[in-house]
Amino acid sequence: MSFMDRHYFLLRRLHSLTGIVPIGVFLIAHLVTNSSLLWGKAGLRGEGEKYSFGADGVTLGEGGVAYFQKEVTWINEQVPHLLLIEITLWAAIAFHAVLGVYYARTGRSNTDRYAYQDNRRYAWQRISGYVGILFIFYHVATLRWGWSWLVPGGAVWSHDAATSTLAMALRGSESGWTGAGLVVSAFYFAGVSLLVFHFANGLWTAAVTWGLTVSARAQRRWGGVCLGLGVGLMAMAWSALFAAVTIDPREARAVEASLEQGRVVSPGE
Amino acid sequence: MLNFTPAAGAGSGAGGGSGAGGGNRARAVPGRTIRVRVKRCEGPGKASRWEVFAVKAEAGSNVISVLQQIASNPVTVEGERTTPVVWDSGCLEEVCGACTMVINGRVRQSCSCLIDEYAPGEGDEITLEPMSKFPVVRDLWVDRSRLFHNLSRVKAWVPIDGTYNLGPGPRETPAQQETRYALSECMSCGCCLEACPQFTLEEDPKAWGTSFIGAHAISQARLFNEHATGRALKGERLEALMGPGGVSDCGNAQNCVKVCPKHIPLTESIAAIGRAVTIHAVARWFRG
Repeated sequence: MSFMDRHYFLLRRLHSLTGIVPIGVFLIAHLVTNSSLLWGKAGLRGEGEKYSFGADGVTLGEGGVAYFQKEVTWINEQVPHLLLIEITLWAAIAFHAVLGVYYARTGRSNTDRYAYQDNRRYAWQRISGYVGILFIFYHVATLRWGWSWLVPGGAVWSHDAATSTLAMALRGSESGWTGAGLVVSAFYFAGVSLLVFHFANGLWTAAVTWGLTVSARAQRRWGGVCLGLGVGLMAMAWSALFAAVTIDPREARAVEASLEQGRVVSPGE
Repeated sequence: MLNFTPAAGAGSGAGGGSGAGGGNRARAVPGRTIRVRVKRCEGPGKASRWEVFAVKAEAGSNVISVLQQIASNPVTVEGERTTPVVWDSGCLEEVCGACTMVINGRVRQSCSCLIDEYAPGEGDEITLEPMSKFPVVRDLWVDRSRLFHNLSRVKAWVPIDGTYNLGPGPRETPAQQETRYALSECMSCGCCLEACPQFTLEEDPKAWGTSFIGAHAISQARLFNEHATGRALKGERLEALMGPGGVSDCGNAQNCVKVCPKHIPLTESIAAIGRAVTIHAVARWFRG
């Protein structure tokens, strides 16, 4: 009997569990932080006024950049054992991904004959898993491990200049969109959308797997909760991405610099 | 009354004419000729081919009676004489499961499949294929041995064999009876397995013990786990369902419950067994 067969049940349940804790929980935290690029001005609670980035006070974009930068700085400088947390996450994602592919390959989708919504979600759960693995690998390799040769324009993400370097890595250059930048941004859109679906739908199937929701009614009810969570996370993912690709990296850099040095600058400088 | 629209036969190009809603029966054209497209196979391991027959529809006929008409004069629309189509059947009233086949791309019993619903108009076509998850014996007849083998994996019975009289069985409450009656209606037809993306064709019996057991066996395990005497084997059933090919292999596509001709709450059974194995595994871990 192989290792996989001897610990069959445990591995199956660990695969399910890791999708929620830590991966799913991290996804929620990650999207809340990133979407602050759009709602960050509200988060500053007037604190942003003292930076006075422009003549007309803090704009939505400037507030987002400032708040997001403060969040990222907090994570990188205040969260204890950050590398340990990261390694735990990477290990959990690798475990979930490897077993996920192994399990997905045991089935054969038949949505052409049985085009039910549940069956389509079965197929999309697998498609989103495959694409999600590629996306997460690219995302972490380029923006965390610094594989800048994979980034159009060669931008290196820095937590000291979180928004400007992110915007450059997505757009392909400092000044505007490049063809490769469009491809990367489209890949991000597909990647984050599919992963949010994967998490929300996985949360629904996990409740059946663990026996939390037994009756068809309970499964439908829990489906409503998962749909709500999925819509909320999707809104956050899209707003984060929308903000990241529409912000001018040079303006973002000016805001970041003012925070860094604690001095007043205007974007024109 | 049927209230679904059968999907078009994939790959065959046969659409089965218009949908087969219950309303079709009223507008069925008397004395019409219909086309019957049949997937033929000479025997195990042989390549399959399509043959089309023209049949004069009789009022109230079903797929079985159409196959009997073809058997009486096995000539294709091209005018070629061929062998009669082989199929399996038993009760002819949708309680034995033997005549299950894929009709217009969707699995169901052929005895309860009325021609007036599926091919109401002149020249309408109906497509017949054997189930794809079981080895074909010949034409529309498949070998469902694995389905029954999987029932034995979960000991889907009440253990009463012994050397002395066990006396009357324990009483069951009406609530238990209500839950179990629905599960007991399973006729082992194989629809849930045919529609399941996690249940795939496995011709080698040596691999049956570790490949996905299927919704029917999971539901039967629940049926006998909830039986006052059958409960004696609950632990063994759950252990079998925790292993390779057990309940964890379910991918929650939930096709099983939608194609079940007996409307058995198969997905509720899967979740109930999921809950039972969760509790069993945790208890076992702490108990030792």
